[in-house]
Amino acid sequence: MRKQRRNRVIFVSSFIFCLFLASIFIILAMNENIDFYYTPSDLTSSKIIDKENLRIGGLVQEDSIESSLDSLETNFFITDLENSVKVNYVGILPNLFKEKSGVIARGYFDYANGIFYAKEILAKHDENYIPKEVKKALVNDS
Amino acid sequence: MIPELGNFFLVFSMINSLLSVGISFSLPSVNKSFFLSATLVSFCTLLLSFVALEISFLTDDFSVLYVASNSNPNLPIYFKFAALWGGHEGSLLLFLLILSAWILTFVSLHKDHRYSSAFMNIVLFALLAFTVFLSNPFERLLPISSMSGSDLNPLLQDFAFTIHPPMLYMGYAGLVIPFGISMSFLLDQKSIKHLEPIRSWSVVSWAFLTLGISLGSWWAYYELGWGGWWFWDPVENSALIPWLLCTALIHSSIATNLRQIFINWTLSLTILSLAGSLLGMFLVRSGIITSVHSFALDPDRGIFLLFICFLIIILGFSLFFLKSYRRDSKLNMSIYSREFMFFMNNAFLVALSGIVLLGTIYPIIYEIFSGGDQITVGAPYFNMVTVPFALILLFFQAMGPLTKWGGKKIDSMNKIVVIIFSSILLSYLISEIFFSFSFYEFIGNMIVLILIQSLFLLVSKSYSSKQKTNTSMILGHLGIAILTFGITISSLNSIEKEFILKKDESVSLGSSTITLIETQLVKEDNYYGDRVTFTYQEKDRTLELYPERRFYPASRMETSEAGISPSIYKDVYISLGQKIGENTWAAKVQIKPLVRFIWLGAIIMFLAGFFARTKVKLR
Repeated sequence: MRKQRRNRVIFVSSFIFCLFLASIFIILAMNENIDFYYTPSDLTSSKIIDKENLRIGGLVQEDSIESSLDSLETNFFITDLENSVKVNYVGILPNLFKEKSGVIARGYFDYANGIFYAKEILAKHDENYIPKEVKKALVNDS
Repeated sequence: MIPELGNFFLVFSMINSLLSVGISFSLPSVNKSFFLSATLVSFCTLLLSFVALEISFLTDDFSVLYVASNSNPNLPIYFKFAALWGGHEGSLLLFLLILSAWILTFVSLHKDHRYSSAFMNIVLFALLAFTVFLSNPFERLLPISSMSGSDLNPLLQDFAFTIHPPMLYMGYAGLVIPFGISMSFLLDQKSIKHLEPIRSWSVVSWAFLTLGISLGSWWAYYELGWGGWWFWDPVENSALIPWLLCTALIHSSIATNLRQIFINWTLSLTILSLAGSLLGMFLVRSGIITSVHSFALDPDRGIFLLFICFLIIILGFSLFFLKSYRRDSKLNMSIYSREFMFFMNNAFLVALSGIVLLGTIYPIIYEIFSGGDQITVGAPYFNMVTVPFALILLFFQAMGPLTKWGGKKIDSMNKIVVIIFSSILLSYLISEIFFSFSFYEFIGNMIVLILIQSLFLLVSKSYSSKQKTNTSMILGHLGIAILTFGITISSLNSIEKEFILKKDESVSLGSSTITLIETQLVKEDNYYGDRVTFTYQEKDRTLELYPERRFYPASRMETSEAGISPSIYKDVYISLGQKIGENTWAAKVQIKPLVRFIWLGAIIMFLAGFFARTKVKLR
């Protein structure tokens, strides 16, 4: 009987220990992989954001797309109709990337030259679709 | 006229399901055949309603709002038919039709389950009410504003899409059956034999969920155009969660059937897996989380679905806590027993589903508690956390079948030691020789080797002792092994390159050369665009690939069709980016070794479910 109880105590405590380790692991992984979302106005305001992973969303500004002809580099402006931020991206653009339509860029913001270096550009798979965040930013501003 | 008829049948079906719920609880003396005919009526009215909507689609009746927003006269007839489940309202109707078909099958097979079907009808009624009042597919668009309709989303004009949702819904809807069985068991505690059908029904759901999810992943792989097969998108996650819970349910119900253990656990899993699939529906339909599956979004609908989901959870767990089954058999938990292996299986599967759920809804939680700050949880979180859990789970999966119920030791311990050591050695050699060594590659291959060798041991054992082998279990586990192998090799060894090419220019990737040959125009009824011919040269082998860039005028959408040259060893995958100039394209080429093993494994798992189904004796 006593042996059984001891076994049970060992079992339960090791279970709790594993659960504890797993939760720490999960929380750490979570914190490392969160992207924070901002608007161009947030970035151009005086408050400095020192987050490594950012997403900025808005519309691709009209006549702002400059594509290189011999490399995959593209520069354009993302605007929330109030402020805009220059974005630099090297790579293939999504199919629905075009002027005046919603876009989200993932990357980091360099305060020294005011350019957002995007690692990824997302445009949604639907003509009428505006990302929730963008819609909100547009509504707030208008 | 026809849409109105369809609507009438839909409402009729709703009333019918409500009545049959009421009658089965208030009039316990009612004849058994009554339930059969009531469910038959439910099914037939839903079928008629489905046919009515199908007719509206095939005859291009754009006065129906749903048809107008999901179809187009230029669509090939096959896609017109499938466009019915291209949007929110129609896919819900299809879901209801499948659900009522499952209930009908259940009632005609199990005549002694009088309350089970009543509980299933509660779920059917709730979703029918939702359809009729908040998401009616027969709503008219008057006055008619467009004669042509907008379009079925071009990404969905595709074969895999047309069968992916029905398969997935067969899985989702199938989860209502175990729920009904366990609810009725809790209500009038009969013998544990009453719970027996849970196993075969959860296997049926599981098999269809597996097929549905893998079809979706296959579709994403070739249609979204970027060569990924799993994106940890909220919608994918919300299908994965019920799949994980259902896998747990299968194992737990086997233990319940054979040893009368884990009874309360099985009962709660039936509630959780149904709640999981309804929560998935809520996440997809409410648009609360941004996803590629952007259905027309409406907060009211979301709230109502969330309400149904909570209703099921509250109904389930209040019945569970009021009348839970307290006579569990004594549990042997020696670490060499089958019981312990099943326990670990369930613990890890439920933990995995919790991890996926947490990552999926964390943005909502964060937004609420931080006062509106918005975040997204990236794919690296999911990969980082799920992979170690999955690998431990796979190890238990390999060991489980070698143990015995109530066992205190393992018979062939030395064979297992040999298996483990040979797998470590072999995996190390494979990683060193074929690929540059990496830790995950080594661990992944090692687990796969242990899994396959243990299955082999199992088969040879049962041959020598002339016992029957459990084909379904062996196939299912083999499917998982092949899937894991495909995932390990393809995710760690794929190579890719983005480039700009003019006509007759070449680019090299690994030991191969890719050349742009020419650009041609293509034109079909529903789209037009460019087709680019590339050649892929490796040693003395030359392949031709034809990626396309299409424009769908009806929805004014541009899509990119990947050019894929599939083979069992590796896929060569080219997708087009922006057109830089005449005959000059940005493109991305990827070489993905063994990526086909992922879907091969999934197909074997589906077939495994099929074997289990035919083995079950029907009463």
